[in-house]
Amino acid sequence: MISGHALISRLAPLLACLGLLGVWQVAALILSTDSFPTALEALRAIPSILGDKESLINILASIRRMAIGFGVAIMVSIPLGLMMGRSRGVASFFNPLLMVTYPVPKAALMPIIMLWLGVGEVAKILVIFLGVSLPVIYHSFQGAKAVEEKMLWSGAAMGLSALQRMTRIVLPAALPEILTGCRTGLVLALITMVTSEMIARQSGAGNILFNSLDMGQYDTVYAMIIIIGAMGIGLDAAFEKLRSRLVRWSEPGFDIPLSFA
Amino acid sequence: MNARAVTSDVLLGIAPIALLIAVWQAIASFGYAPATLLPPPGVVLMRLAQQLTNTTFQHEIAATLFRLFAGFSIAVILGVTIGLIAAAIPAINAVVRPIVRVLAPLPKVALYPALLLLLGFGHESKITLVAADALFPILLSTYYGASMVEQKLIWSAMAAGTPRRQILFKVVLPAAVPSILTGCRIGLVISCIVVFLAEMITSTEGLGHLLVTAARTFQAVDMFVPLITISLLGLILNGLLQGLRSYLLRGFPEV
Repeated sequence: MISGHALISRLAPLLACLGLLGVWQVAALILSTDSFPTALEALRAIPSILGDKESLINILASIRRMAIGFGVAIMVSIPLGLMMGRSRGVASFFNPLLMVTYPVPKAALMPIIMLWLGVGEVAKILVIFLGVSLPVIYHSFQGAKAVEEKMLWSGAAMGLSALQRMTRIVLPAALPEILTGCRTGLVLALITMVTSEMIARQSGAGNILFNSLDMGQYDTVYAMIIIIGAMGIGLDAAFEKLRSRLVRWSEPGFDIPLSFA
Repeated sequence: MNARAVTSDVLLGIAPIALLIAVWQAIASFGYAPATLLPPPGVVLMRLAQQLTNTTFQHEIAATLFRLFAGFSIAVILGVTIGLIAAAIPAINAVVRPIVRVLAPLPKVALYPALLLLLGFGHESKITLVAADALFPILLSTYYGASMVEQKLIWSAMAAGTPRRQILFKVVLPAAVPSILTGCRIGLVISCIVVFLAEMITSTEGLGHLLVTAARTFQAVDMFVPLITISLLGLILNGLLQGLRSYLLRGFPEV
């Protein structure tokens, strides 16, 4: 009985995907305009994109940029967020700066950064880095702030240095919250990647998407939407697996990422 | 926390922003970067002040704000309604949940080309994109807020003779308000970001369009002005929402 239930809840997202594709198919058949191909036509265009060497290299380059930007952002943001959470001075130093930069669309910095660094890899990675940092800092900050003082006192009483208390007590205790931030950051990395490529229009998945829009290859447009969407859903699901493995001990939080920016 | 601690916190917080502007000014005035790449902050602020009184610029702000509010309002109405219904009726939840699970991590910007093809290059495609992006945080926080309502509150209301259908509006909705407002806050920031990006990608008006036009003609000063404007708009809107929050939540134990 339980396994049947688990099977249904495991299959539900898949059924939802099929349902959404079905709605798309029906809507496209009813509208039947050139600019809105059916779901089947779009799906059929996917193999030709992934089979084309140049587009495949483009997409892989996008993923590489995303991974680098995300990795660097995590390595900088988690320590910063934890320090903000444990020291009021550090928190009040960085908080206003973060608040001011929060509503600035990071991908919108692309034209300015391009002016300084050119259209190359560095500019795009920097933009992804900026986009990912804020949610990770914010969640690490919240997580570290909520650590129980008593645990830190016990640690200090047992002779742990400040650094050891940070890595042995604060980091594990804040891990569930940090991972929530990383999950948000992951979705955001993908969004920033696509947008920055749409703006810089040189290479990458976003570039294929908009070039095919300009050239009126509507099948390719929709196929790319499916590919990018599948990347988002796949990355999110993979990260959720990792998260539930790492913090099995914590209370199950929200299983869908709440925030994105 | 006494007044002195607050003041020192504020001073400490202003420090990095002041430092940033100082470094910016230093780079510009010592000639490390040509003014065409990095105009000095004074010039940018002057330009901003000048633009804010310019009717064309005000028109662009109005276009951006209209799209932002339209999209955000649609997201709030849909998100709160669907979230409440899903939390109240298990059968609907079983359908909504997997769909949301698939759509929430989907990068909505990727849908923008499709929206352009279907809805055209005007307001509609941008409003839809903003609504689609702001919808999920609001929907999810409404859902979580409504499903965490203490069962005791519902029992008490039923014991006091509240009809079943009124419980949703008299107990569940008010109890979920803090969570809904948190979702709205996230949704608002997202709306600011998305409306700007959509206007950058294709538009004929709005702040994002101004940035792209300035970038094409290498007018560095005019590139900073829309960015600062959207940041200010975000802060002002956030402040307004914060005000609404403390008004709505007066009397709640923790705000």
